[in-house]
Formats: sequence, structure tokens, C-alpha cells
Amino acid sequence: MKKLSLVIMSIILTFTLSACGSNSSDSSSGSSSNSSKEIVFWNPFTGPDGKNMQKMVDEYNKTNPEYKVKNISLKEGDMYKKIQTVVYSGKNVPDLMIVHAERIKQYVDNDMLTSYDDYLSDFPEIKEENYMPEAWKIGDIDGSRYSLPLDIHSFVMYYNKDLVNKYAPGALDDNIVTFDEIKAAGEKAQKDKITTLGVTWVKPNFLSLYAQNDGKLTENGTDPTINNDQAKAAFQTWIDLYKSRITNKDGEDPAQLFLQKKLIFYPEGIWMNNNLKDAKFEYGLTNAPQLTDDKSQMINWSSSHQFVMFKSKDRSDEKAKGVVEFIDWIRDNSLEWAKAGQNPASLKILEDPEYKKMAQSFLLKDPEEQASLKIFDYKYNGYVSEELDAKGLDIIFGKIPLDKGLADIQKTLEDKIAKDSSNE
Amino acid sequence: MEVPAKLLDPKSKGKSVNWTPWVFITPHLLIFSIFFLVPILFGIYISFTNWDLIGKPEFVGLANYKELLFQEDSSFYTQFHNGLKNTFIFVILSVPFCIIIPLLLATALNAKPRFHKIYQSIFYLPTLFSISAVVIIWTLMFNVNQGPINHLLGQSILWTGSQPYAWAAIVIVTVWWGIGGNMIIYQAALNGIPKDYYEAASIDGANGFQKFFKITLPSIRGQILYTVVITTIAQFNIYGQPLMLTGGGPANSTRVLLMDIQQNAFGSGQSIAGIASAMAILLGVCIMIVSFIQFLFLRNKE
Repeated sequence: MKKLSLVIMSIILTFTLSACGSNSSDSSSGSSSNSSKEIVFWNPFTGPDGKNMQKMVDEYNKTNPEYKVKNISLKEGDMYKKIQTVVYSGKNVPDLMIVHAERIKQYVDNDMLTSYDDYLSDFPEIKEENYMPEAWKIGDIDGSRYSLPLDIHSFVMYYNKDLVNKYAPGALDDNIVTFDEIKAAGEKAQKDKITTLGVTWVKPNFLSLYAQNDGKLTENGTDPTINNDQAKAAFQTWIDLYKSRITNKDGEDPAQLFLQKKLIFYPEGIWMNNNLKDAKFEYGLTNAPQLTDDKSQMINWSSSHQFVMFKSKDRSDEKAKGVVEFIDWIRDNSLEWAKAGQNPASLKILEDPEYKKMAQSFLLKDPEEQASLKIFDYKYNGYVSEELDAKGLDIIFGKIPLDKGLADIQKTLEDKIAKDSSNE
Repeated sequence: MEVPAKLLDPKSKGKSVNWTPWVFITPHLLIFSIFFLVPILFGIYISFTNWDLIGKPEFVGLANYKELLFQEDSSFYTQFHNGLKNTFIFVILSVPFCIIIPLLLATALNAKPRFHKIYQSIFYLPTLFSISAVVIIWTLMFNVNQGPINHLLGQSILWTGSQPYAWAAIVIVTVWWGIGGNMIIYQAALNGIPKDYYEAASIDGANGFQKFFKITLPSIRGQILYTVVITTIAQFNIYGQPLMLTGGGPANSTRVLLMDIQQNAFGSGQSIAGIASAMAILLGVCIMIVSFIQFLFLRNKE
């Protein structure tokens, strides 16, 4: 009797475990929506801006569209890993997804995206004239339209107004702070133990200065070009500022220094503005530091969130049209996204008086400012990011010699790209 | 209740299978096969290919292994050798502390001083935290300007950005976090040593040190072997501490192999799964060799 009950118990246990297994895998990957009138929408907005996106989705669903949108926000790293496995298996592919602009070329090359070409005829307002040019052109690949822009977000510079008046009076008169102006301020501010420039995220800081020096990530779209004089010049500027103690020291946190009123210039993204709302001093937003005060030469590193549709056999033509209907609605109703600190790509926002008062609007209001926003959509941008994140700070703080660092980065990029068999 | 005669039939004893052990291990065997065995075999297969996890895998035979082990001008070779070297450095630095300190604490607690239960809980507490929480706290502790450690020492040591402090920081965090696990095992082992041995030794005039080395250590030899092997394997798999504490710096000097494996397989760019898998297989082989050597040295030679 004991043996029998043991056998029965373990059979029940095994079945329960396998049933648990299959249940949880279904519920965690988002509902399959082949017969439901629901658009499964994946996005990486798990921060405070997630609330703004949820609000927009709720507003859209209130208009009673044929296909309602289900908003699923995932952590960015998880989202990009998940989409790979989901597309590979072909099951539970989301109907609509937000990706960063730089990743789109690679998705298209790997034949993972559905183009919007067949669905745009019903939506005549989704056209080049209604969108910010730098963000619009991202989706135009090989003559087809693979993505539609949501926003364009730039890496700019925050500044402490009191400290600027004290150490760099007049620097903001033309709304461009040059590296020379930073150096001049630094020599004065050092004596009072004030830091002038924060060493923040190296990638956008470096790429903006690299482009200002006329550097390009690639000449032919495939092979990387980063071990050159322009890159050396870009890094050398920061190295010199660090050595002259115009920047913060290694190990100091520029964010903390800025909030403690010990930092004059704090390069960061427009998306960080909501984190500074509690600052107990007046601060402003301006362009990223530039080499010259010639407005036509300005460069502000930018990226963009774009709407894409990954290939899915569960998405009917009707549902795809429902997706574009949602994107068209966003085009008309982007103010909520601007409240998250973003710059919507739809030019309709420029008509909104509430938007014009927002700090980040200076980047879109003026055509010369618009022209300064540059998206670095080199196909292998992912590898470049990883290398700059791994070695950038060490190069600036002198732990890796500049020449060796750039040579290593170039070699690593070439070796990784050589593994891409689609280039053969 | 009548037991079916068949199960108790002595005549069929030779032929019938004893199902009891199978009943106990089948659930685990199933889970092990699905979640460990199959992925390992799949991983071995991937290591013989060039694959981006999206298209079709391209079979390349031993090319990945040859590149990692012998092709000196490849940046993957540099990654692999640097990563493996740093992993070994970490294992050599951390395992002794992760064994000796819990052992000494367990021995001290075994003397059952006042409040020993409270001390036991305090020492075990760090193990319960997640590595992310642990690293956040210790990053604040090691902060160059505002951290309490530099304040206490009256120094401005850049703990997470310069050597040898970066290794010191990583080892300190690891040992602090892991004390509890081994300590509990040693406590249980020490409890099992008969008190008469110590009494007999006292009568013979042995002092504390002699008792420890001649009675205590040999008696818990089995548990020490177990913890040494398990701790070594665990430390070979180090990932969270250098990733979040030092970022692999300064100048890649604390970049461990698992960080390269993770970045090659699941980085921001296209996946290079073949190389990542080959690195992982080679790491696994290293761990097996080291564990085998430890077994040879520490097993009971009876």
C-alpha cells in the first residue's frame, strides 16, 4: 500500500510540475492575440516616462478604436533579449514595438521587420513634412518604410545659472557654450573648488565631439573607422580638461556635484530633466558643448524611439492598419509625451503653446537647432556603444593610453563585425 | 489493507525492479534534463557554429576554439585570456577567505558563548540579500569622498577605480556576502564531533591549537572538501560583483570571463553566440579540472 501511494503521489507531482511549467511560460510572454481585437504593444518605458505612455494609451483606447492597444513595458535589456527569442520561435510576437533608431538597420538586414508600405495609403498625414527630418529618415531603408518615429531625444547640457553668472558670464548669451568658454571658466572656478564640467556618459559626449571634428563611424556603412585623428582630437579635449582639473575627479559623481551646487556644467540627456526637478537652485538647458559658436556647425548627439512591426503571422492586414491608426493618433496627440521630458518627432507639437514653454523645446523650435540633432545609426552602433562604455572613462581618466585605447576599440569592432556572416 | 501478493512474492524478487528509488528521483531527473542537460548539449553544439541567434547557425567545427586558444591577434583571444586570468585571480584571492573565515566563526560559535544565537543570525544575514542590493550598499561604503571606509581610514582611496584596491573591494564584498552559507555547514559538522575526543586530548595535555588541528579539522574533512569544491565552482562563476562594483575596470583588470560571455551572447549588438558558447564550455572544462584536482588532494585516503 505504501509503495502504491508513493507511485501515485509522484505521478501527481510530475504532472503538476509540468502543468505549472507550461502555464507560466504562456502568461509571461504576453497574450497571443491572433483572434482578439487587441494590439500587443511592447516598449522599454519602465521609468517615470512609463506613466506618460500609459496615459496616452488609455486616452487612445477611450476613443473606441476597432483595435485597442495593450501597453506592456519591459526593462530595456530584457526587451531586446526577449524579442530575439520570440521572433526566432515565431510565437507571441508583439504587434507593435518601440525600438531605438540605431537598431533598425540590423533588424532589416536580418529580415525581421514588416514594412509599413501597404498600410500608409489610408493615412495621408503620416508623411515626411509632418515629422522631424532626422527622425523621419531613419525608417527609410532600401526604398521601403520600416519604422515611424515617436520622438527624438538629445544629449544636451544643464547649467547652474548662479555659477554661470559668477564664472562664465555671457557664455549663454548665444545659447552655445564652447570648450574654450569652459576652459576659461574652469581656471577661475578651480580656486573656489568648484568643478566646471562633469564627465558623464562617455558615448554621447564623445560621438558629438567626434562628429564636430568631422569624424564618421563608417565610410561604407559596414567597416568601422574610429582609430583616426578626429577621434584622438575628441578624446584629447576631455583628457586635457581632466588633467587641468576642470572636470570632476575620478570617482566623483557629477550628478551629486550638480545637485550640491558644486558643478557649473552638467552634460546629460533631456530625459533626465524630471530627475532634477527638486534642485534647490535655478538651472537651464543648453546645447552640448561645442568646438565653435557657429550655429551651423552645432552637433547634439540624439537617438530616437521608433515604432516598428516585427514579422508575425498573427498580425492580419486589418490589425496592421489598426496599428498605423494608433501611430497616427500619437502624431496628433504628443503633448503628454513632451511632458515626460521628450521631444516628440511629430511637428504638430510645435503648434502647442504649452510645449513651447518646456525647456527641451529649444531644440525643435529653431531650424538651425533642428539641424544640429544627429542620430548615429551606423549598423554596428551596438558594438561601438559597448566599446565606448567599456573603455571611454578609462581613456579620459588616463588609465588606458589614448593611442592604445583607440587601436583596441578599432580592432575589437573589426573582429566582432567579421563574425557577421551576412557581410560575406 | 491487503498488499498485492505480487509485490511481496519472494520468487519474483530477482526479476522485479525496485521502483522506490526511481519514484524519488524521477521528478528531479526530469527537471535536470529539461533545464540543464538539454541546454548544455545545445550549448556545446552552438560552440561549433557561427550564429547570431536569429538566422541559421553556420557550422565551423573547431574554429572558435582555435581562435580563442591560439589566435593571438584576435581580440576574442585577448578577451578570453584576460577574462580567464582575472577569473583565476579572483578564485585564488577569495576562496581561502571564504573557507577560513566561516570556519573560524563556526569554531568560535561552537564554544557557545553568550548570545551565540544572535551572533549566528547576524553572520548569516548577508547571504539573504540579493547581489544587486549588496553591491549598491558597498558602492556607497567605498565612495571616495563620502564613503565611511575612507572616512575611518582618513584616506582618499579610489576603491573601485584603482588597483590593488579594486580586487580588495571585490573580495571584501564577496566574503561578506558569502560567510553565512559555509558557516552553517561547518557549525553542523562541528556539532557532530564527539566531545570525548576533546576530553581525552585535554587529559593528554593538548592545548587549543593542537586540538583544532589534530581533532577538529580531520573530523570535518568531508565537509571541508565539499565546501572547498562548491565555493571554488561558485567563485569561478563570478559576475555581479565586478560588473556592478568596478565595471571590469580599471583598464579591464577586473573583467572576468563571464562578463565577456554575457556581452558576446546578449550584448547591444548582433549576438556572437558561437564564440560565447566556446568561452563558456572552456570555462566549464577549467572548473571540472580544478574540482578534480581538489578531490584528489582532499579526499579521505582510506
